[in-house]
Amino acid sequence: MNKYTICIFTENTIGLLNRITIIFTRRRINIESLTVSETERMGVSRFTIVIKHDSREAVEKLVRQIRKIIEVMAVFGYLDDEIVSNEIALFKIETPLGSKPLDIEYINKHFNAWVVYWQLDYVVIEKTGSEKEIFEFFSYIKPHGILEFVRSGRVAVGKTEKGLVEYLPEYEWEYYL
Amino acid sequence: MNTTVSELTAEEPQPAAKLIKPLTGSEALMQALVEEGVETIFGYPGGAIMPVYDALYDYQDRLNHILVRHEQGAAHAAEGYARITGRAGVCLVTSGPGATNLVTGIADAMIDSTPMVCLIGQVAMKLLGTDAFQETDVIGVTMPITKWNYQITRADEIPEIVAKAFYLAQSGRPGPVVIDITKNAQQELMTKPFAYQKCEKVISYRPRLVPKQDQLEKAAELINKAKKPYMLVGHGVLISKAEQELLAFVEKTGIPVATTLLGQSALSDEHPLYTGWLGMHGNYGPNVMTDQCDLLIGVGMRFDDRVTGNPALFARQAKVVHLEIDPAEIDKIIKADAPVIGDAKEILTRLMPLVNENDHTAWRNEFRKYDDIEDEKVTQPALAPTTEKIKMAEAINLLSKKTRGEAVMVADVGQHQMMTSAYYEFKKPHSLVTSGGLGTMGFALPAAFGAKVGDPSREVIAIIGDGCFQMTIQELGTIAQNKLPVKIIILNNNFLGMVRQWQQLFHNRRYSFVELQNPDFITIGKGFGIAGHTCAKREDLSASLDTLLASEVPYLLEIIVEKEENVFPMVPAGTSVADIRLF
Repeated sequence: MNKYTICIFTENTIGLLNRITIIFTRRRINIESLTVSETERMGVSRFTIVIKHDSREAVEKLVRQIRKIIEVMAVFGYLDDEIVSNEIALFKIETPLGSKPLDIEYINKHFNAWVVYWQLDYVVIEKTGSEKEIFEFFSYIKPHGILEFVRSGRVAVGKTEKGLVEYLPEYEWEYYL
Repeated sequence: MNTTVSELTAEEPQPAAKLIKPLTGSEALMQALVEEGVETIFGYPGGAIMPVYDALYDYQDRLNHILVRHEQGAAHAAEGYARITGRAGVCLVTSGPGATNLVTGIADAMIDSTPMVCLIGQVAMKLLGTDAFQETDVIGVTMPITKWNYQITRADEIPEIVAKAFYLAQSGRPGPVVIDITKNAQQELMTKPFAYQKCEKVISYRPRLVPKQDQLEKAAELINKAKKPYMLVGHGVLISKAEQELLAFVEKTGIPVATTLLGQSALSDEHPLYTGWLGMHGNYGPNVMTDQCDLLIGVGMRFDDRVTGNPALFARQAKVVHLEIDPAEIDKIIKADAPVIGDAKEILTRLMPLVNENDHTAWRNEFRKYDDIEDEKVTQPALAPTTEKIKMAEAINLLSKKTRGEAVMVADVGQHQMMTSAYYEFKKPHSLVTSGGLGTMGFALPAAFGAKVGDPSREVIAIIGDGCFQMTIQELGTIAQNKLPVKIIILNNNFLGMVRQWQQLFHNRRYSFVELQNPDFITIGKGFGIAGHTCAKREDLSASLDTLLASEVPYLLEIIVEKEENVFPMVPAGTSVADIRLF
């Protein structure tokens, strides 16, 4: 099974998420993660969807079906080596009195993770990185007692010279700035 | 007090003020339909669409509304209308059950690429999501079976969305579009003057009509090199009205042609290059030859599983040129060596100068031996039966002769559909209207009157089985009320014939719930005010068809046919076309 990252550029309209996900559902493809945000262009949304699949051909067919949605402007499917990607995770860690102290300096230097909030009996640590890096940190921090753990979906940009957005119809979309 | 001239004139009513009198959403909808050139609406009123029906009352002189008896009838009628005219059929129904009753027809239009615009009432915006009376999430329900759908919640949106709906339904690969209109949007006044502008582009939707030159050149190269080229013509050729271009192309290249079920009548059955149709119940030669050609040219078709049989075994030896408007169809089922994306008419026109004149006589003659076998084993016995009862094949064949192959045949789904396809000799394009992809029983009766409304100058004949007829039998009322001179033939074998055939062939004659106790169809017809008679004897068949064809009003002819007639040839599901059975 290969991991594919599918980037979809769409108009920002009601119901589009549903319209896109039913294409996956109908073909029994499970969505591993999904992130949606507006792009640098006004009114253009970007979906980043990660799936696992053993057939490149099937993924190509899926991409073409997504492209058929009227509000979809462009769709790109990537293998992991064709993108720069990241995820963000938040760890809520127990720090009761008398427990083993957290080595914040080590966490910073070794894991590139930061304490972003603290209370008397817990801290919240933010870790950004690849899925692998996040889980390495997860293993390290687990003995301290994880109260809550949340991981975002993947965000990704392609490694092509031009931004992917350059493929969009240029003239009708204003930039924010 | 002195008054100036200018002040006086200012007080007089301005003619311009009349023009900008705001319209209600419902009036705007009516006006938009008129501006779009809509002539006919198939509809059924109800609570959430009543403001629109009220506005329609004043538009009766400009919009011909046909009141159906069930919303499914409206959908199929709109499809029949669209298939004959090439323009979007329009349905107007209420929320909840009105909308869900349309669903079968919408799905049918989607899979057969039929342009349709469905205008559906919805509860007021404030009530959305409250499980209000007759509220159904129509956008959610129709999302996977529409080309596009949209919920209008403000009157101001109406002109633009209606224009977009017609553009999307009719352009590129056509399909059904649903507009869900909340009741408040129908009732409220527009806050700006009504202005209608036809939609000509949607930024994120750009169907390629004109093909790329390099794709054309690659396709032409394969066509010119091929020793045994073979062309499969689909519905797309008829949708793009490319019959003339197809004719010119095949006459120049000498390539033998077969059609899919929905591609039938794109090339006249009489044309020497026409070899028949292919698919599960298609002709022997056209099916087998997919295994022998060295080049397969699919045009405006999508390699449906009823065409390919087992796709892994389909035309493995051949290179494939796929001429198609929808990029998602390329490589979906059959890998194309030379895909050309574009409109069939544009592609064929532009291919013409690139392909060599040719005459594949020897290759074309290879189809003959299969034709002869089919003729001996299937066609002749079917047309000259020794059975006591009439056979479907002979009835269709006689009808074909009597109408000179020029009628519009609207076939329902099942054995009679396959028989119509096999034994009617189509001479004019756009002459077969049938539910292909979805196989919707009950399609024919409403689609037939839709087709008749679309082109009253053509003879429209519905071929319907006794099972199918009872699925939309209520539409006899629509036909009678609107005096639509549709000719209806029921081929009655007292069975759900196709299912029975499969049970006979693949389930050891275990006839599980396929025999019907039928009503007296002629009495029912009379009840609706439609004349008719039953023909049970071979010697009455010719005269019965004459009576039907001579009628200037709708007419119902029931033909009692052989109970256990089977449709052959047949490619059993999931096998190779080479495994085609003749008996």
